[in-house]
Amino acid sequence: MNDNKPLHIVKALFRNNTVVVSVVLFVFCVIATIFSRYFLTLFNLQALMRDIAFISMIAVGQSLLLLLGELDLSVGAVASLCGILTGLMMTKGGIAAGLAIVFGIVIGLGMGALNGLIISKFRLNAMVATIGMQGVYTGTTLVITRGKAVANIPESILFLGKGALAEIPNPFLVSLAVVTIAALFVSKTRRGRYIYAIGNSRSAAEILGIRVDRIRILTFSIVGMLSSIAGILYVARLGSAQANIGTTWPMNSIAASVIGGVLLTGGVGNPVGAYIGAAILMVISNVIVLLGVNIYWQQAVSGFVVVVAIALPSMVNIMRENKRIRSIN
Amino acid sequence: MNNNAVLEARNVTKMFPGVIALNEVNIAFEPGTIHCVVGENGAGKSTLIKCLTGVHIPDSGEVFIEGQKATRQNKLFTKVAYVPQELDLFSHMSAAENLFIPYERSGLKGFISRKHLREKADVILNKFNIGVYPDTLVRDISVSQQQLLQIARATVFEGYEVLLLDEPTTSLTQEDTERLFETIKQLKEENKAIVFISHKLEEVFRIGDFTTVFRNGQKVADSKLSGVDVPWIIKQMTGRTLDDNELFASEKVTDEIILEVENLNGERFRNISFKLKKGEILGFSGLIGAGRSELMQGIFGSVPTASGSIRFDGHPWKKGSPCYSIEKGMFYLPEERRSQGILPNLSVKSNATISRLKELLVNGFISREREERCVNDIIKKYDIKTPTSNREIKFLSGGNQQKVIIGRFMSCGPKLLIFDEPTKGIDVGTKNQIYKLMKQIAEEGVAIILISSEMNEVQKCSNRIITMYNGRITGEYPRNTDSHELLHSIFGLTGGNHE
Repeated sequence: MNDNKPLHIVKALFRNNTVVVSVVLFVFCVIATIFSRYFLTLFNLQALMRDIAFISMIAVGQSLLLLLGELDLSVGAVASLCGILTGLMMTKGGIAAGLAIVFGIVIGLGMGALNGLIISKFRLNAMVATIGMQGVYTGTTLVITRGKAVANIPESILFLGKGALAEIPNPFLVSLAVVTIAALFVSKTRRGRYIYAIGNSRSAAEILGIRVDRIRILTFSIVGMLSSIAGILYVARLGSAQANIGTTWPMNSIAASVIGGVLLTGGVGNPVGAYIGAAILMVISNVIVLLGVNIYWQQAVSGFVVVVAIALPSMVNIMRENKRIRSIN
Repeated sequence: MNNNAVLEARNVTKMFPGVIALNEVNIAFEPGTIHCVVGENGAGKSTLIKCLTGVHIPDSGEVFIEGQKATRQNKLFTKVAYVPQELDLFSHMSAAENLFIPYERSGLKGFISRKHLREKADVILNKFNIGVYPDTLVRDISVSQQQLLQIARATVFEGYEVLLLDEPTTSLTQEDTERLFETIKQLKEENKAIVFISHKLEEVFRIGDFTTVFRNGQKVADSKLSGVDVPWIIKQMTGRTLDDNELFASEKVTDEIILEVENLNGERFRNISFKLKKGEILGFSGLIGAGRSELMQGIFGSVPTASGSIRFDGHPWKKGSPCYSIEKGMFYLPEERRSQGILPNLSVKSNATISRLKELLVNGFISREREERCVNDIIKKYDIKTPTSNREIKFLSGGNQQKVIIGRFMSCGPKLLIFDEPTKGIDVGTKNQIYKLMKQIAEEGVAIILISSEMNEVQKCSNRIITMYNGRITGEYPRNTDSHELLHSIFGLTGGNHE
């Protein structure tokens, strides 16, 4: 079809959304390097990777739900409650740290399953239901802690949040594992495919004999589990369990997914895109801090850059379309 | 060039990457004429419509409206009213509101008086014989009425001179089709130019004055309809003559009973009993709303049933679970192909293999190689036209989408396939391919239930025909029953269930 084969391949690559998002991430990093000589320092990159680790795990989970046509706004509340409970089990409960972490993860999974169960059995709207559940989980956290942090987290687990392997922070490694497993899950397993099928058309999926409610509950459970892992790692990073962990995670994880090409209407996108989307978000806030933007302006600037980041791929699409129409003439 | 024409395309060419959708097309529409445009899917009808309504700007050639060259700037395209094939009404708003939105276009300014709106709507609703109150919400009226309302809406803007109707009768009952035709004739009297696009050739002959036939993006023939017949049109459309009398009934009906339904009751059907043999094609004929789809969905399990018994393949049947049905080899191909049949944003590959992923697993993961092989087999066996198996299925034509769905289920080794309006919105040439496929499938020993509102289709394909009216079976007929008798039964004019 095309004489110029290399060009053809490049063009084909750019039709792949994940590639486009990766390029955007790269461009942001280049810009960051140009504008701040601190960006490419080991210290900064490690800090950045830690930031990326937490939000990206949540974004990967959130993207699974968005693919299904659902979402979960209680991810932050689940994370902080699981962090608190795990911390309490380790300190006041006298349970071995490793075991406490396992319990914490299982509890997170249970909270996710509860979200999914309520939403599918009572046929609720996921957004409203998880706003409610977010209140329940946050409230429980406050009742348990009375607003105080759980301190004295055992030294033995702090490496999970603070440590690094070959200069790469451990949480970041965990997040890489999470996104790899998620990518395999959606593309290579039956249940992963069913997520796309349901997100594309729920009634078609039902006629195909897919057990839609089971898949929904499963996915909510996965998200609950990922939230609790992120929450517990965060506790290990801080050395104390606090009630305000993850307050920005629900919105940021949705934004990251959308930047990464996941459609809010369901059925289109993939967790890898969401992961890169999360990285883009974190690079943006990192650069804003490095550039010394006035602290009161930081949020506005970062919001503005996020809007630009989601507008970019959409503008590329518009341009592509216009070009196609022009090329016909 | 035509001095009489109100809408005219001159040498219009429109290209898309890889295809010439319209090639040097000249066509003119005159006032007071019903001009039928026919052609297979992909023949260029849709692209023509989009050029005539200003959605696409032709690559070369021009569109003239009332003798002036139409551009997006000079607003001449507002004189062309267009009714799309799909329903796109605001379902939570009233009939009256749907008619006049956007209010600016309808000449309603400032605060909208409900009374005024109602009075204006009443006139239009009566003219089109829609039979709904202006205040009724669109979601509460029948699909037929919605379709008529959509047509009425297009005529609200009084500046229009041309009315483009794209497959207006696909979701209409016979009665409503009659009503629509009356209204179209009335509009013709008002000297509007009517463009009528339809796959139903009988309708074309009933209502049209003039026809233009498209094939592969070109205008291949045009004629006054009084001088030609159906075989002529089909010949022009396909480039070959199709024997309309060709029969597609299965020739290998066995004596083995696969499905036995006894006194089945549900919300929309009563006392349904029938038997189905392996290798048989059983047609269900009836008016839209007769309860055929609901009955089949009840048997399949996606709609609850109240009482009655079903035996499938010699075993009692667990009702109300599509998963169970599929496990046991019963599959349902829904009428709403685009919303319930395909997974639009997924590739042809994912669509074709979704039902048999289990067999594609190697070590618990879907094997790319096996999946590739599976989809390639399906594409080859069912002659599916797609550039690659990674193409999103929404970009395929309706006929090819249907073939993917058939291939999807056939690869699962089915025992019974329920086809609900399998050729809805599919062109004549491809229809025959689907019929041939059904015949071939039945002769492999699969039982087939065919629901169709086109009597001709049921007659062509079925070994036996059951008619339903208002939720009840009104008759059972052998394949060579004449249309007159069937029609009686479809309209509920004969009673009882004679076997």
